[in-house]
Amino acid sequence: MAKMTLEELRNLRNSKKKEMTQRDGEKSAQIVIGMGTCGIAAGAKDAFDAFLDELNSHEIKDTRITQTGCMGLCFSEPTVEVAVPDMPRVIYGNVDAEVARRIVREHIIEKKLVSDHIFDKPAADIITD
Amino acid sequence: MHATLCDLITDLVQNSFEANAAEVTLNVEETEKNLKVVIADNGKGMSAETLEKAKDPFYSDGLKHKHRKVGLGLPFLFQTSEMTGGTATIESEEGVGTTVTFNLDPANVDLPMFGNFSTAAATLMTYGFQGNLTIEHSKDGKSYSVSREELIEVLGDLNDLESLTLLKQFIEGNEEEING
Repeated sequence: MAKMTLEELRNLRNSKKKEMTQRDGEKSAQIVIGMGTCGIAAGAKDAFDAFLDELNSHEIKDTRITQTGCMGLCFSEPTVEVAVPDMPRVIYGNVDAEVARRIVREHIIEKKLVSDHIFDKPAADIITD
Repeated sequence: MHATLCDLITDLVQNSFEANAAEVTLNVEETEKNLKVVIADNGKGMSAETLEKAKDPFYSDGLKHKHRKVGLGLPFLFQTSEMTGGTATIESEEGVGTTVTFNLDPANVDLPMFGNFSTAAATLMTYGFQGNLTIEHSKDGKSYSVSREELIEVLGDLNDLESLTLLKQFIEGNEEEING
């Protein structure tokens, strides 16, 4: 990775922006990673890197990755909340790098929940779709 | 104790974010014989009494999590410095801000690995924090500096995947330059 100036970064961003505006039909997904002391200690940054890498390798560009502090679920860190349009919001627990990659492939791309890592989701009677 | 020094640094910088600081500076200075880290903010600061309590792992101000009885960031710092013969100090004044400074010996066998600074910097720059963060990293005379405000001006929304990817590439490039 060659060193980049801020101006080179700006040019790269502008060229990518043109590509982005040419795409259509993609719906946005949101990933929220718990990055409190417990999350950091449990490897949340490995999950962060894995999400970034896997999303890019599948060219899922219309996604936001944000972070939050401790979600109060320290025993199942790293914890990650995933929101995909037309699917229930889900909190996944014990999300190491491999699980993060599975969440991208199965939840975001295939629209299937990664059932063995779900910590919390809305009750079945409030999911209308 | 955190597994890497970058995890520890991430944790301590987040304390500054949570102190409602408008300006936070992270300065990391590495030489063969010393690792110096200074984290300075202009947040709400602490009284002498609170500062003393903050060093206790079984103390939390309870503002973030009402029922929480632990706060491990600063205790992890003091544990790491005491175990490895380093030094750690905190200066804080209510309404003015807080500065955390620590010096560690990179050759000490008990010192945790340094860790991945690019990922630490990328997560800090994109954390849900409304103020400005400036990161300065120098190693053996080579250095770079970048601020969150500059990155937002160039990239826009930093949490958008495209921006996040470019931001990380930018930091990795600078890290390679000073580590090369």
